[in-house]
Amino acid sequence: MSEKVVVIENMTKKFGEFTAVDQLSMTVERGRILGFIGPNGAGKTTTIKILVGLARPTAGRALIAGADCVTESHKIKKLVGYMPDKFGPYPNMRVREYLDFFGAAFKIPKRERKVRIQEVLEITRATYMQDRYVEALSHGMQQRVGIARTLLHDPEVLIFDEPANGLDPEARIEMRDLLLRLAELGKTLIVTSHILPELSRICDEIAIISGGKLRASGTMAEINEQLGQMRMVEIHLHGAERIDEAQEIVRGHSDIAEIAGSKTEELIRFRANLTDQGMAQLLNSLVTANIPIAQFHEVQTDLEDAFLTVTKEDRAKMV
Amino acid sequence: MLQNPIVQRELIGMMRTRKALIIQAALVVLFALLLLLRWPVDPIADITGVKSMQVFKLFSYGILTALIFLVPVFPATSVIRERNSGTLALLLNSPMKPTDIYFGKLAGVMIFVLQLLILSVPSLAACFVMGGISMNQQVLPLYGILLLAALQYSTMGLMVSCLAGSIDSALKITYGLVLFMSVVVLGPHLYLQGQPGIWAEVASFFRCISPLPPVMDIIGHGDVGAQGLDTNVDSVLNYVIQASILSVVFIVIALVQLNRRILDRARSAGVMTHQMSRFAQRFRMILYMGMDPKKRAPLIPGYVNPILIKEFRSRRFGRVHWIIRTMVVCVVISLFLAIQSTVYTEQWGVDVIGGIMVVLQVGLVVIITPSLASGLISSELESGSWRLLLLTPINSRRILIGKLLSVAVTIFLIVLATLPGYIVLMVIDFTLVTQIWQVCVCLLMTCIMVLAISALVSSLFKATATATAVSFSIVIMIFAGTFLFWLGKGAPFNVETVEKALVVNPLATALTIMGTPGFDAAEFTLLAPQEIWNAPTTDLWAAVQVPLEGMGVQRVSIWMSWNWVINAGISLVCFVLLYIRIKLLTKPQ
Repeated sequence: MSEKVVVIENMTKKFGEFTAVDQLSMTVERGRILGFIGPNGAGKTTTIKILVGLARPTAGRALIAGADCVTESHKIKKLVGYMPDKFGPYPNMRVREYLDFFGAAFKIPKRERKVRIQEVLEITRATYMQDRYVEALSHGMQQRVGIARTLLHDPEVLIFDEPANGLDPEARIEMRDLLLRLAELGKTLIVTSHILPELSRICDEIAIISGGKLRASGTMAEINEQLGQMRMVEIHLHGAERIDEAQEIVRGHSDIAEIAGSKTEELIRFRANLTDQGMAQLLNSLVTANIPIAQFHEVQTDLEDAFLTVTKEDRAKMV
Repeated sequence: MLQNPIVQRELIGMMRTRKALIIQAALVVLFALLLLLRWPVDPIADITGVKSMQVFKLFSYGILTALIFLVPVFPATSVIRERNSGTLALLLNSPMKPTDIYFGKLAGVMIFVLQLLILSVPSLAACFVMGGISMNQQVLPLYGILLLAALQYSTMGLMVSCLAGSIDSALKITYGLVLFMSVVVLGPHLYLQGQPGIWAEVASFFRCISPLPPVMDIIGHGDVGAQGLDTNVDSVLNYVIQASILSVVFIVIALVQLNRRILDRARSAGVMTHQMSRFAQRFRMILYMGMDPKKRAPLIPGYVNPILIKEFRSRRFGRVHWIIRTMVVCVVISLFLAIQSTVYTEQWGVDVIGGIMVVLQVGLVVIITPSLASGLISSELESGSWRLLLLTPINSRRILIGKLLSVAVTIFLIVLATLPGYIVLMVIDFTLVTQIWQVCVCLLMTCIMVLAISALVSSLFKATATATAVSFSIVIMIFAGTFLFWLGKGAPFNVETVEKALVVNPLATALTIMGTPGFDAAEFTLLAPQEIWNAPTTDLWAAVQVPLEGMGVQRVSIWMSWNWVINAGISLVCFVLLYIRIKLLTKPQ
């Protein structure tokens, strides 16, 4: 098993009476990409702020490569590269000067800094914009310069807050490739995003947080299991005449949660908590009843489904 | 006009701001205090109307100062704020014409000004009731001039707002122009009045760009620094002509900008000198004398505080080539004044020339320092780069020192460049050595105090525009506001009150030291430095004694002014509060 680089143990953060993060525990292994998702106000940014040393937890602790985020903040600054959702430009500064300033702030010696700036510009494919003014860059360009800035001091862990936010499709693809390249370089990445299909394509693991609590974490399959995600099945019929009869047969089976039929699409869609054996029995009963089945297939649940399950449950609790 | 949705939105928007409420409340309190101060309590009636005239004079200066320093804030941020938030694009995309948008905004400001003037009517009415003031000769012309001044400064603010690149630069340029149009234009006339020749006439004519001469004329206060001289120029008529022309020019410039062009600006392609043709490279090398702004800057050396370099580089005029240009201009002006002082010594005397130099130097510090320092922290908080700074290993002390030094070095270099004129003054009159040293202390105090106040204000606000406006307001209050008491010296304020008001103002102290007319050291004992220690050089340590005696110095004395003590105290308190604030801002949440 690989080394755990990020460890969060029973971390709680309160602002007065309001609990932003509630007993959060999670880990990230070296070289992995963690997608950190949750609805607005779920506690993602607060958790990240604690990890990078910008906030202190009320209880619990967070470690990065063994360094405590509260007591060893000077170490944390060297271990973590953080790109907030706001770029933070300086006016009248060119990209090269901007990176030079942050390099000097991280006390990178002058000679080494020159090489390092060149390297990070090449990694982020931003060399061509090195003489441009940072505030005059497009949003996509600024995001790349932002990543270059986080890479300057060669941190072990990279935390990106909404890196794909506001990017056009092409820039989003470039960003995705860039994050994968960084993971290949051995960096551990924590990425928050609301663009879930993008995130699911690059992340090794996902953590879903809601109301300050960790709702599920792990691979996609593990998350489905933790959330008790039901399997979604679609049955395409040959003709719409017997669609009501088919619905009745499906409904007759236990563990069917939601069912909907569409005569125009000649389709029945349902969610069920069925095992493979149960699925086979259901299919058999439809075939026995001479229902004209054109297709019987399971629809793969994705990150959006998992996210929606969490938010739906939260809404139900609030009601 | 009121049907214009822009007028309604601007006016309502402006009225809802805390700024507007504070301005209105402050003005009402100020006017009420003014009246209470001079309301007759004697059983004998003042049929000459002297007392009411005294109040009227102060009232006029007060309302004029409030108008020209507070009103331009609103139009100066109006267009640029809309451009940054994206609502200007929506407006330009609507069926409204640019003229509707412009005049809507202007009308909003003017109605607000009108409302401020209406607030002053009860106090004016009380003054009028006391007698001695003419409605046709004084009250109506005064209000006419005030309205015209409001128009002049509002159109100027709107023009700057259409041209500027950011809210804080709009505010800085506006305040610079306000000081230029209200104070600096008076300088040449003050200097040349009574002289024969075309230049004196030109100076006399153009001084009426400022609303101060017509207001002084209306209230019967003579002319700026008139020294008993009378001009045959009708300052009221001249001001009306010049302010009207200027307002039209400002409107035209703004309207030329206020269209799709304002949103259609190309991004810099970032072409550097080494990417240009060989001819262009050589030409630029000669033109910039090796300090080409388009040449790649060297990397920050490891021994230098990176914050210091970052501050210089991120400033529009912070690069070396700009600082050198500014210094050259300062040296030229200083030497020009010095040469003039040698030519006109007989007519003017070094005291007047010295006074002008002091005013110009302090003016320079008062304009430049808040514009540099008021964005030190607030701009970082506003742009989100403060959080990035906290992620680096730079500690709060280094951040603070780097930022303060970046302003202090710039100001020091600029003030240093204005000093050569004093050398000429010393050559003319060597007895002025002590006075010039003391003036230099006043200049130093000015720099430190303005820097401390502006930096502290900068750390208290998240918006640079607010920090800039508040910094300028405080600084102008100290340096110009306290002079309102001086204008009322003798009546209604006695010398003690004036002295107490001026004790916070290093400019007044410098003028007292130079013996400028109106600033008598015998009168202003709190301002004039007093000798607190005097000893022969033989009493000093040998390490100090030998070089001093080598320079021919026999006795050494230490001088102290209450103004220096107060300025040092204010600066110290501001720096301590700033340090605490920075500590809080750098602490994890």
